[in-house]
Amino acid sequence: MPMSLFKRSPWILHYDGSSCNGCDIEVLACLTPLYDVERFGVVNTGNPKHADILLVTGSVNERNIEIIQNLYRQMPDPKVVVAVGACACSGGIFARAYNIQGGIDQVVPVDVYVPGCAARPESIIDGVVSGIAALEQKRKRSA
Amino acid sequence: MSELIVFLIAFPVVVSGVLLVVTKGNIRNALVVGACVVVAAASLITVFTFGNGNALFFGLPGGVTPGHLVLVMDAAIAVFIVVVSLQNGRVVAPIMAAAQLGIALYLDLGGHLPDPDPSRLFWFDRLTMVMVLVIGIVGPLICIHALGYMRDYQRSNPMIRGRRTSFFFLLFLFLGAMFGLVVSNDLPMMSVFWEITTICSFLLIGYTRTEETIGYAFDALNMNLLGGLGFSVAMLLLSGQPDGMDLARLTAGPAGAALLPAIALLCLAGITKSAQMPFSSWLLGAMYAPSPTSALLHSSTMVKAGVFLLLRLSPAMAGSAVGMMVAFVGLLTFLFASMVAVTERNTKKVLAYSTIGSLGLIVGCAGIGTPELVWVGVMIVIFHAVAKALLFLVVGTLENRLYTKDMENFDTLLSRMPRVSALALTGIAGMFIAPFGIVVAKWTAIRAFLEVPGFEGATFLIIMAFGSSLTIFYWGKLLIKILSMRSIEPYERSVEDRVTRYEWFAEIVLAVGVVGIAAGLGWISDHVVGPYALAAFSATPRVFLNLSPAMIIVMLVAVLFLPALALWASRRSDYDLADFYTSGRTANAGHLMGAALGGTRTVTLRNYYLEGVIDGSLVFRSGTAVCGVILAGMVLVGLVVRA
Amino acid sequence: MNPLAYGLLFVVVAPIFGGLLAGVDRIVSARMQGRIGPPLLQPFYDVGKLFQKEARQVNPVVEPLLLGHVGFMAAAGALALGGTDLIFIAFVFALAALCLVLAAGSVNSPYSFAGAERELVVLLASEPFFILMLAAICKVTSASTFAGVLASPVMVALELPGVLLAFLFVATIKLRKSPFDISTSHHPHQELVNGLTSDMSGRLLAYVEMAHWYESALLCAFVVLFFNWSVPLGLLAFAIAYGLEVLVDNSTSRAKWQLVLRSTWAVTLLFTGGNVLALFLLGR
Repeated sequence: MPMSLFKRSPWILHYDGSSCNGCDIEVLACLTPLYDVERFGVVNTGNPKHADILLVTGSVNERNIEIIQNLYRQMPDPKVVVAVGACACSGGIFARAYNIQGGIDQVVPVDVYVPGCAARPESIIDGVVSGIAALEQKRKRSA
Repeated sequence: MSELIVFLIAFPVVVSGVLLVVTKGNIRNALVVGACVVVAAASLITVFTFGNGNALFFGLPGGVTPGHLVLVMDAAIAVFIVVVSLQNGRVVAPIMAAAQLGIALYLDLGGHLPDPDPSRLFWFDRLTMVMVLVIGIVGPLICIHALGYMRDYQRSNPMIRGRRTSFFFLLFLFLGAMFGLVVSNDLPMMSVFWEITTICSFLLIGYTRTEETIGYAFDALNMNLLGGLGFSVAMLLLSGQPDGMDLARLTAGPAGAALLPAIALLCLAGITKSAQMPFSSWLLGAMYAPSPTSALLHSSTMVKAGVFLLLRLSPAMAGSAVGMMVAFVGLLTFLFASMVAVTERNTKKVLAYSTIGSLGLIVGCAGIGTPELVWVGVMIVIFHAVAKALLFLVVGTLENRLYTKDMENFDTLLSRMPRVSALALTGIAGMFIAPFGIVVAKWTAIRAFLEVPGFEGATFLIIMAFGSSLTIFYWGKLLIKILSMRSIEPYERSVEDRVTRYEWFAEIVLAVGVVGIAAGLGWISDHVVGPYALAAFSATPRVFLNLSPAMIIVMLVAVLFLPALALWASRRSDYDLADFYTSGRTANAGHLMGAALGGTRTVTLRNYYLEGVIDGSLVFRSGTAVCGVILAGMVLVGLVVRA
Repeated sequence: MNPLAYGLLFVVVAPIFGGLLAGVDRIVSARMQGRIGPPLLQPFYDVGKLFQKEARQVNPVVEPLLLGHVGFMAAAGALALGGTDLIFIAFVFALAALCLVLAAGSVNSPYSFAGAERELVVLLASEPFFILMLAAICKVTSASTFAGVLASPVMVALELPGVLLAFLFVATIKLRKSPFDISTSHHPHQELVNGLTSDMSGRLLAYVEMAHWYESALLCAFVVLFFNWSVPLGLLAFAIAYGLEVLVDNSTSRAKWQLVLRSTWAVTLLFTGGNVLALFLLGR
């Protein structure tokens, strides 16, 4: 297999669980002229079939378990999951709510945890870069 | 040769007579299959004994002429029409039939009809050859298919009284009359066969004898009788002309001013029979008849009689105002019918509009009348006969198995009936998909339109561009439906096993025919259609079809691509048909998806019919009006000029 | 040089041209939005990566149909430059587009299906123009092949100004630019998801991208036909036209299919039809 191109073209699917939408705004901020992640070939695809990285903000509740699992299942291999923000990592301030299961790792395997409430764009980009490294490892393992 | 021709006409008629008295199913099946084999063989033998391909003229054995037999037949037809119409309380048809009989009586008993040359009753050339093969091969296949189809049709429509004896009687009578029509050189003789096809189609359309179909049958009768009346008046106008009743001499070259009004009336006859725009509604009504009727009327008989006459008349009307008006009627019909087809859900009606459109192209080509365009016209006749017969038979099979004609219900057909799908895809490929077949004809037609000067040329080009794009749209929708897949229950798989062997036989032979014609395109052009077009116009030799090897490769890939894909795909089971994207909701391969409150919903995907942009009935009415005005102008101006 | 060699050259060079064009497009778009944008070679990285990914197949017909899409698109260009009759090309071009429609339509996803239907609508909208355009070019130059048009002394663009204007309009459809990108989308979070390509992953999506590269190159070849007296001028014209398309793409929102169909037909009829009519009436 020639040089891996994943690090030059990481395509992202952003899913928002139970959250205050603070992290979502920061994720979108990454696409703005200030951060311009497209410089690194990042595309926000909005479609699991095209995505390499599942970027989840917010926590898991009873109703979105099925959705998250389906989206994860529909992403073609290799794929990684990046949990962005306190809620996605552990359930955050919603953790004890009656309908909350907890962090994303309760339903799908998470490769990178990005802390913060809300997570800052710099750390989100850092999380994606770490995700690319994980993606690379998975590709090598399967090859 | 003359014995063969007489056999071709008489044998189906005799068989039809025998079928009228055979009531036992098994005997009828054996008889029909045997007769079909004989008809097909006889037409092949006729074509092979045809010789070097130059036009042949001959009479009946022993130099007999039909004499007053023509009048007797005319009278019998008129009496039949009057009786049947009055029984059903219709008055228009009897008036026209009586008028026709009056003209026939005047011509014959008044001694205005010149004695036909006993050696020039029949005319056999390459166009006749094409027509004999179309009638003699596609026709019998439809009859064989009908054996299987009609049994199931009667089972699934128990309210309709079975009249299968008369049904098969009519099919064979129709074939006999068509053979007679395409070999006749003597106009009065031809008009008898012309009227027989009118009556056969009338009876076939009214087969179910419901209020609705009887209405459609009389629509068809009225319109075709109007055409027949045109034919009679044309003969009246021609009766004073030397050689006026000799079709070959009449169409040997551009007609003079004296002949043009008669040519215009003959064109009117051809246009009614080929269901062009003011008269399209009769063919749509014919869709309510059993599918073999539709297949027969649409592909090998009836409408082909109309375009056959127009192609014959093409050299006579070339370059005249009559020819231009015929061309406009044909090409406008192509455009309008294609537009309506886009808005139509009923598959049989889509096929009907597609037929009207394809015939419109042929009529348009015949009207302009250059060797290239007559080449195009005959090519479309061949492709259309085989591919459209296949499609109608397949839709008939689907209708009997799935109890629907709605295009939307053919969803996931590839999973449910893979072999039938492959046949349907072959038919559609034959009609349009590949740059072969009708597309090659369209391509040549566009090239030829570039040579037509002035307003007409530009208009034809624009009509062609829009018309052929519309055909992509409606065929594309049908293809999408056929090609989709889902997981199916075992009982659904067994549906295909109930297709009768008669249906399989007819459809497979036609599908092979479609591929064969595609492969033999160059040969057919060089040896049959090309020489005919040159001979009809006494034109200098030229190459009609210049295919490079690369183009032939693209064509063959394109024609075999979809059917092969269908057969291959239906055997694959290692795909997750449930894996389609539904915003993360759980969906299953049987088309159910999760919905609110834990329920499930069926995924239904429906085609676009361009509501709000194209209004089908408005388009149909405008087309009828526009073409009606052109046609009325053509006939009236001719008659006024003549007077 | 042998026309056949030109045809083969198209098969090899067109994807490079189309890919670079897509790269330039993304950079220019980003600059218009005040961003820096991806590297020039980004489209090649994307397609390369897609080939390294798993292709999830939702049914067995999608991949063959998409191969047909690329194949017929490449064949259309190769046949055009290889000396085949230009009017024939219009039909191969439509066949290639149809393969994509069928691939997307065969998928049960509502997004993919809606994309397929809308692609069929834009095919219906644009196809009359391409038939008329190629026929008109053949008419004014009395030629039938690409080389024949280039060799003709007639200056096509001067004879067919209306057709050229209409080309600008219709090319928006073929280049999948807003407001006419109704069948697919490069931007997330829209009503269509990714439309046509929603259920194509890995190399399946790569085929679609590559076919689009061929398509862009073929459109460029069409522009060159208009400026048949000078190929560099034709390329310059294509560059200007493409720049305008990118500007329009970045400054409009997606139209409804009804508007796309009506406006494209109106423009085709008025400008192209009018131009063709004038041509015939003046006896050119």
